[in-house]
Amino acid sequence: MGKDNSSTAILLQAVAREGEKLQASERRNFLKQGLLLAGGALSGAAVPGTALAGDNNLPPNVPPWTKSLGSGVLTNPYGKPSPYESHIVRRNVPWLTADNIASISFTPLAELSGIITPSSLVFERYHAGVPAIDPAQHRLMIHGMVDRPIILSVDDLKRFPSTSMIRFIECPANGGMEWRAAQMDSLQFTHGMLSCCEWTGVLLSTLLQEVGIKKDAAWVLAEGADGSHMSRSIPMDKALDDALIVYAQNGEPLRPEQGYPIRLMNPGWEGNTSVKWLRRLEVGDEAWYHREETSKYTDLLADGRARKFSYVQECNSVVTFPCPEKPLTERGRYEVEGLAWSGEGKIKRVDVSFDGGMNWRPARLKGLVLPKALTRFGLEWDWDGGPAMIQSRAVDDTGYVQPTYTQLREARGSSSIYHKNAIQTWRLHDSGKVTNVQIS
Amino acid sequence: MSRLAKSLSYVGLTVALGLVVEGHAEEAGNFGYGQTATAEQIAGWDIDVRPDGMGLPPGGATPEDGEMLYEEKCASCHGSFGEGVGRYPVLAGGEGTLTEARPEKTVGSFWPYASTLWDYIHRAMPFTVPESLTDEEVYATTAYVLYLNDLIEYDFELTQENLADIEMPNKDGFFFDDRPDVKARRCMKNCKKAGSIQITSEPEVSEDADSGADEVVAVEQPAEGQAVYQQACAVCHAAGIGEAPIPGDTAAWSPRLALGRGTLIESALNGKGIMPAKGGQSQLTDVAVIAAVDHIISLSAKQ
Ligand code: HEC
Ligand code: HEC
Repeated sequence: MGKDNSSTAILLQAVAREGEKLQASERRNFLKQGLLLAGGALSGAAVPGTALAGDNNLPPNVPPWTKSLGSGVLTNPYGKPSPYESHIVRRNVPWLTADNIASISFTPLAELSGIITPSSLVFERYHAGVPAIDPAQHRLMIHGMVDRPIILSVDDLKRFPSTSMIRFIECPANGGMEWRAAQMDSLQFTHGMLSCCEWTGVLLSTLLQEVGIKKDAAWVLAEGADGSHMSRSIPMDKALDDALIVYAQNGEPLRPEQGYPIRLMNPGWEGNTSVKWLRRLEVGDEAWYHREETSKYTDLLADGRARKFSYVQECNSVVTFPCPEKPLTERGRYEVEGLAWSGEGKIKRVDVSFDGGMNWRPARLKGLVLPKALTRFGLEWDWDGGPAMIQSRAVDDTGYVQPTYTQLREARGSSSIYHKNAIQTWRLHDSGKVTNVQIS
Repeated sequence: MSRLAKSLSYVGLTVALGLVVEGHAEEAGNFGYGQTATAEQIAGWDIDVRPDGMGLPPGGATPEDGEMLYEEKCASCHGSFGEGVGRYPVLAGGEGTLTEARPEKTVGSFWPYASTLWDYIHRAMPFTVPESLTDEEVYATTAYVLYLNDLIEYDFELTQENLADIEMPNKDGFFFDDRPDVKARRCMKNCKKAGSIQITSEPEVSEDADSGADEVVAVEQPAEGQAVYQQACAVCHAAGIGEAPIPGDTAAWSPRLALGRGTLIESALNGKGIMPAKGGQSQLTDVAVIAAVDHIISLSAKQ
């Protein structure tokens, strides 16, 4: 690698480009940038050693970190990832929303292993920014059709018997940009409104038993303490089933963007029902029909009618390797991997096709297979260097089989925005490059 | 312990701790944590409104009352006619578009209940200062948005009593979730007609992907230690400005090298003494700074 002026010039350009902020209004530019980011991740991180171009740290040479001391304990008291992984970040699609306050960011699924999403990388969705809440001044009020309306501090809440569960959370708009046609050449943007954590808290049923619900109580309104006062009507069945009032995520206190100090978690249901910064639960006999369950989060069908209270995230899956961010580099044997999940229960099986859904091979389910949790699958495959159309198809323990785009559009048209769980196709080019396509 | 025994012992605990709140704590719950919410406390937070009008406060206003207010507090984002500015939501129009390829879902064309509008404006608008409107102002802006949708007359007074009676055009347009609505089959072999697989859509920028690839390589090269040093560090370190240790000055560097590479990296990343973090160039990646530190070390270590 030459150490001449031209490499410095390249460097300066590169640095300038890195510092640049994306033009919020230019969708096309953004898409190009997305490709750059995706490709950049691969060319840097996938080839170890190239980062220190010019320094030869490979055998027989001995690298500097082997001949010196590292930094000491408490250098980073709360820890942080290796600087060599700095491309693993949440990203957003600026043209989706008017601003970044009522907006969304996406989890970099291609970069993650196993089924747990690190708290720092859980996708973000909120309607009035992240409120900076002092937990000592935060309260949860439970009232309405109850025997004894109460106000709980966070410490009060934590005194109740707690439970932990590993569950996915997914925005129903995940993949919503793809309803009409393939749009995003990146797994992060086609499927990244999806994360899975261990959630710890108190079952809502415990709290409802505590306050005593009246005879005709059928719904619970959950409301946030942020500026949007996000509100959703939750049917009593769910409230008494597995709804959880959460204060911890992956072992640590909830992150502010995930609802610190407390949030509701409705396992398997569309993410917006898991109201963050939870301040109030009102028990009632009818639904409230608030904005986020009428104007938004209802599924418009081709005949002009709309499905309401469509809570469940149905069975879905996607191949995470290869994918646009993780192309193949040479022919040979690979373990193709992916994630499957269902809001109805456990993943029963996943099949993978390499020929666009003509023929399928069963994949292995790997590690933990839990209800309403991400489930990882894998399958060895010999790539002969030719083109392929890679798909995955999940089946859950209710017997539901993940549908194709054609089937989904036949049933719903293409204006639904929400709950798109169609089989994803990745087109593998002979160069090893992977792009997003939809096929017949 | 059986569930019953467990709950009994919790009751015992709450009694022992003197936490039983006036009334029937034993019947209502097992723990007795927290305080009973007073009517006044509830009133401060209980803001929700239902389609039957439950939750609406006394009051009323006409679109005429709301016109100036809307212009002042809403139009900058939603437009004077509710047409939406930029990507901000459109509030009016779109009648009859729900079955079209690009349906326009607005208060008038899509929302089933007027109560939702009152509730939402009250809880979340104006966007930057939610809960800043008085109840009268919420009635007035609600009335005005309904008027923009031709749902009430300019002089109609929208009140606590009549809001629930406003008929929204799409009130019958919703039905309860009836999924699963798709029945797919798990076919394994020859699942499609031969030759029937066609690409129906691809992201429009796919063709440009290759041209982007060359630039990518440039982005990932900056970890060239010497180049980063020249551009970001030499300004101080080459001449010893502010007593910055000069690379190659082994006397100046040997005590620092003794701190270990890890510590030197942290100093360069986070700053030390008068040296700012990353030499003041926050746009540098951590990896680029590490490469520059290694470059300095390679010049300064005793051979
Ligand atoms: C600074 C810009 C801004 C101002 C000013 C503003 N809004 Fe909004 N409004 C928004 C945004 C952004 C949203 C969407 C928020 C979201 O999706 O979470 C919204 C949503 C709405 C909606 C729901 C639209 C839908 O289709 O779901 C209504 C109704 C509304 N605003 C009414 C008002 C009224 C009435 C006012 C004045 C009192 C107002 N807004 C002032 C930005 C603004
Ligand atoms: C504004 C002037 C300035 C710039 C620019 C600057 N440094 Fe420094 N640097 C200093 C000074 C002064 C010290 C001595 C600090 C002290 O020990 O208090 C120093 C010390 C260091 C040390 C020793 C740290 C230690 O723990 O003893 C390293 C390593 C270093 N610089 C690396 C860099 C790198 C790499 C860059 C470029 C990315 C850089 N510096 C840019 C002024 C600068």
